[in-house]
Amino acid sequence: MQRIKITAVIAALLLLAAACGGGDDTTAPAGPTGSASESGGTGALSEFGESIDADPALIDKALGPVEPSDEASWNIILAAVARADQDVDQATIDKAMECWSNRECDTGTGGEIVMGYADGGGDTVNVWRAVSHMEAILQALTYDEIGTIVSTEADFNPDPAVHANDIRFLISRGVDFIVGYPDMGVAIADAIKEADDAGIPYVSFSAGWVGLPDQEGALVPGEDYLTVVGEDLCALGDSFAEVLNEGVGTGEAALLGGTPGNALSLGWQRCTVDALSDSVELVNPPKNDNTTTGDTSWYPPIIPDVYSGLLTTYPDIKGWAYEYADGMYIGLQTYEDLGIPVKNLTVALRTDEQNLFCDWAERNEPTYNIYYSAGGNFQSRVGVTAAMMSIAGAEIPPEIIVPHVMRQVTPDDCDPNRVNEAVSGTSLVPDPVLQAMFAA
Amino acid sequence: MSATKAPSAALTSFVVRSRFLPVYLALLLLIVVAAIWAPATLSGVALRAMAPYGAVLGIAALGQMLVIMTGGIDLSVPGTMSLAAVIMVGVGDGSNENIAIAVATAVVAAAAIGLVNGVLIGGFKLNALIVTLAVGLVVTGIVNRYASTFPVQSAVPTGLSDWTSNRVLGVSPVFWIGVALTLVLIVGLRYSALGRRFQAVGANPVASNVVGVRVNLNQIFVYVVAAVIYAIAGVALAGLLRNPGVSVGTRYLLGPIAAVVIGGAALTGGLASPMSTFVAALFLAGLSQMLRTMGLPTALQFVVFGLVIIGGMLVSGDRIIRVVEQVLRERRRGGSQTPPAADPEVTSP
Repeated sequence: MQRIKITAVIAALLLLAAACGGGDDTTAPAGPTGSASESGGTGALSEFGESIDADPALIDKALGPVEPSDEASWNIILAAVARADQDVDQATIDKAMECWSNRECDTGTGGEIVMGYADGGGDTVNVWRAVSHMEAILQALTYDEIGTIVSTEADFNPDPAVHANDIRFLISRGVDFIVGYPDMGVAIADAIKEADDAGIPYVSFSAGWVGLPDQEGALVPGEDYLTVVGEDLCALGDSFAEVLNEGVGTGEAALLGGTPGNALSLGWQRCTVDALSDSVELVNPPKNDNTTTGDTSWYPPIIPDVYSGLLTTYPDIKGWAYEYADGMYIGLQTYEDLGIPVKNLTVALRTDEQNLFCDWAERNEPTYNIYYSAGGNFQSRVGVTAAMMSIAGAEIPPEIIVPHVMRQVTPDDCDPNRVNEAVSGTSLVPDPVLQAMFAA
Repeated sequence: MSATKAPSAALTSFVVRSRFLPVYLALLLLIVVAAIWAPATLSGVALRAMAPYGAVLGIAALGQMLVIMTGGIDLSVPGTMSLAAVIMVGVGDGSNENIAIAVATAVVAAAAIGLVNGVLIGGFKLNALIVTLAVGLVVTGIVNRYASTFPVQSAVPTGLSDWTSNRVLGVSPVFWIGVALTLVLIVGLRYSALGRRFQAVGANPVASNVVGVRVNLNQIFVYVVAAVIYAIAGVALAGLLRNPGVSVGTRYLLGPIAAVVIGGAALTGGLASPMSTFVAALFLAGLSQMLRTMGLPTALQFVVFGLVIIGGMLVSGDRIIRVVEQVLRERRRGGSQTPPAADPEVTSP
């Protein structure tokens, strides 16, 4: 009892110190580094208008049974998820749809803050992007201060100038902050730096580093842009390796990635390569530390070619690591084309689109196992909240680390009633909104 | 008299055919290189897997070939193929009962795109490159707008994807559709009045106009036919990919043009061979497959692929025969520059 009292006093003092602005503002404790539910309701970020009283069920849905990341990161994640606990009414759905469907919308709150959303992909080219965009919009609608949302999408245009121009358009439009995924990485560093120089915080999500720290031309989060939200890529790569080491045992494995050299793929691939056991033979090792391997550009027409190129030479591949579950689903078509049975296969993924999981359930093949970490649509919400906290005066860590956990796919992961099979099971967009987004 | 005509006809035939020869040599070279460095590419299963995608490129290239034969070019291929693919998702709505109506819708929509292209180019005499680029952009916008009305990464009806996965004589039916279309075009261009008229317009529009061929109508018609062929390619690709997304056609902007040119056609119009074009598409697909099988980094794949296309263009068409012709002429000229006394015809009074 005495120990509890002492702990309570220390906690209260720490909270007081945090409220007085000492040290990292966001590092106010969210309780012990225990589960999400334990850390809820402390009100550590109340001075920035945020609550960390997040619903544990929502955290579990978005992330799975994770261990919290560092306190500064975790508190912002909790604050974002707390706002995601939305019981949307029809008016909110209509407004969200208006903002999702149009380049610019008035949220109707009369708020003065203009939010910019810059996506290198787009709502019509990729469901994951569409859902992430909606997550950001729904999050923005919880802030009365945000009166306008301006969105741009580059639709995976291969020309970096298109992506950079989107950022520059948002700067000239006078947005107060930008949340986005920089598909072109360092190729749009100048535009992002211009935003920062103009006093417009830029937040990337989904581990969208504007160049990894040791890449030439990379920007430094916390200095050149506000922050990057995402998993610890090396830890993610290690997790993938762990899955392959155990699942493959002895045999061949391959890594796949997105656009050549993108930070997300590069980040985890580096560490996966290092962490694979000697008994797992990587059939497509990257040429060096700065190149990605198995580049699919996350572009469906290329994906079968990449699978085909590898499987014709290495038909006995027993393990795949990829950050795109839907891409794996497309790749399975190549197995059929080549007449290779989908057996003795272990797959490590970062997203959780239902297409693949339902296909897995249908195959009912005991030697074919999939492990995944959450796709992280909700990370765009974290980006919005981080930016709003920054505007409110909070100090934001340069990297908001989203914890991850690898989960094995079970039949429960296939929800046949999902509005859209391509939507991740871990999205926090309420079903009525998904219905409005995707139902014809 | 006939004795002098026979070698001339044979020479003409050789000259005409020689322009289509390099693609077959390139294919042979590719097979040799693959056999040495990437033998797995030549395995039966690898070829079977590659064939349908090569055929999709081939089908699109056949449409582009018809346009190029008229001296035009069509940059609306990606938009048209993407539209056909998303129609298979949207109109198909995951139901096998809707496949027929979806295919019909895709074909009609493509024909409408072709008609717009054709009227602007054949009727209003606007620049083909600019017109088709602009129309392609408009179509891409329509595709994006249309795709926002349904789950964009949804799958096509299983009936379509199952059909493309089937095997006819060991290969996807998509490949045989490409072969069939090639044969139809060979026969149609060579043996039908319409086809011969079309070739005449491609070879010499002014002369065709003089002899009463309606050149404008012909140009409009060719863009419509080409667009319908792109739609067939788009439908096939959607079936192969199952959930194609909205930008599946993007990759087919330059590939079909490259196949047509490597296949021996000149961008200025005139003769082209459906067979050579289809083979050139298979060559490009095979090359791409081989580079991936060899495990080259993506950057190097682009470089090699680009260099091979440039090389193919350099030796394609009538370039080689022109060089041969020039050498022969110079030799002949060199012969005629010998001292006049040596030439009895010149010295004779």
